[in-house]
Amino acid sequence: MSKARFKEIDQLSGESSVLMSWQKTITVVATFVACVWSFQTHAADAVAADPEVVEKNRKANEACFACHSEFGFKNPPRTDMDMKKLAETLYDPKVFAGSNHGTMDCRQCHGQGYNDYPHSVTGKSETSPCAECHATKVARLEPQYDASVHARLESVKAKFTCATCHDPHIDLGATLLKDPHKIAIQDNKACLDCHNSDEVFAKYAADDEKTPGIKKKRPDVDTIHDWLPNTRLHWKTVRCVECHTPEVKANRPISHEILDKEKAEKNCLSCHSANSSLRTRLYRHLVKDEQERFGFTNSIILSSSYVIGATRHPLLDKIVIGLVLLTLGGVLIHGAIRVIFAIRRKGKTQ
Amino acid sequence: MSERIYLLPLWIRIWHWANALLIITLTVTGVSLHFADPQLPLVEFSLAARIHDIAGIVLVALYVFFVIANIVTGNWWQYVPKPPGVMERCVKQARWYAYGIFRGEPHPYRVSEEANFNAMQAIAYWVMMYVVMPVMLITGLIFLIPELAPDRLFGFDGLLPVAILHYLTGAVIIMFMIAHIYLGTTGKTATSMFKTMFTGWYEQH
Repeated sequence: MSKARFKEIDQLSGESSVLMSWQKTITVVATFVACVWSFQTHAADAVAADPEVVEKNRKANEACFACHSEFGFKNPPRTDMDMKKLAETLYDPKVFAGSNHGTMDCRQCHGQGYNDYPHSVTGKSETSPCAECHATKVARLEPQYDASVHARLESVKAKFTCATCHDPHIDLGATLLKDPHKIAIQDNKACLDCHNSDEVFAKYAADDEKTPGIKKKRPDVDTIHDWLPNTRLHWKTVRCVECHTPEVKANRPISHEILDKEKAEKNCLSCHSANSSLRTRLYRHLVKDEQERFGFTNSIILSSSYVIGATRHPLLDKIVIGLVLLTLGGVLIHGAIRVIFAIRRKGKTQ
Repeated sequence: MSERIYLLPLWIRIWHWANALLIITLTVTGVSLHFADPQLPLVEFSLAARIHDIAGIVLVALYVFFVIANIVTGNWWQYVPKPPGVMERCVKQARWYAYGIFRGEPHPYRVSEEANFNAMQAIAYWVMMYVVMPVMLITGLIFLIPELAPDRLFGFDGLLPVAILHYLTGAVIIMFMIAHIYLGTTGKTATSMFKTMFTGWYEQH
């Protein structure tokens, strides 16, 4: 090999090692950024744990709740407030403290424009979007939401934010709320607040396709669900999204693609069978604790609700089926013996 | 010409066949609901639920009619096994079902207008109509109004004991129905008792 060739190889390997070191640097930096991002994202999902910070935030929030609560509204600390506007932004400090965001300082989302009163005129527009903390979640859910019935029309989609359905001052995640009945009540409220109120529905509704210029009329929730037996009982015990979202794989969070009545689940057996989809939906956070208590299939569901078809006792079913078959077999055998004896008697007589 | 007696008034026959029709309907829909499975194509679930609810309510009404009619007409007395010798008559009857019937022995009990049922029949019908049916109907009504059930019991939904009682009494009624239909063939001929249930006239053995 010529010297020039060695030099060329040296030069190449030198360039290559420089490239390698850059690659390493980029990988390390990317990993670090990913870690920080991931930490921040997960930190956003978890409830702040440091009791000192929690207490500090609670104290800071007292100043907000001095006005933005039922008590504050009835006993306004100032006389120069816009009470009409205030009436729209009242929260229960106890409910907030128990919510997903209950340990945070209000200003972590609402910004510094709310340090003083009167609040900054740009305060509302400076409120942090959910994606600022929940970036990965939003990135994952956005395509699902875009396929949703709420995003079908641009005019409707433009009015929707995460907070339209998920009230960050009240809502608590399923893993923290635990009780499926409470989860159903909380999550169905998000749907029924609009779909059970002509006034709120009209705020979001688009023009009726048949009558342009006139808003689409809210369909009566009872009427459109009249095919569903025990409708009201369903609303108390399961969420609207159990049927109004497409099925996802086990261990995946429920989809944010809200399905209209044409696409929604209408097969009762989806939930009312041994392989109930409730396991991957409302009871997803509890399924890991399934122990088939006292021999019941889906005993984790049975802890909250008796769901016919889903919460069975296979051994009891076998005993009952066995007894019924025994009765049937017994009378058939008895009948067969009677026939045989009757034929024999007839033969003897003849 | 065999002896015939007018045994069953019209109201009993109408009640009996309405009861039979409802119980068959409730059995088919009940099985469709309890054993709901995509692999088991019985009655579609929501349709089964609606039919079961309606048939169940009609059965409650029919049962109330049955109880009142029994009191008013005095028919309730038929369901009371008359002492003395109830046990002996039961044993005699059981022996006939287990042995005598095969040998062509005559029926050990003679049906009369005063006493329609043999001792075993009276006890079985009494238990079915005054113990099993009320439990079945009351648990069914609680199913319709689940707020009546306890909220929770032994760490499970309070509706569970109601559901199990409803299921078990349902199974007992199905077993009774199978035996009852079969024993209907043990009359003078295999079909004579079925004819009696339609015409009211009973042919003596």
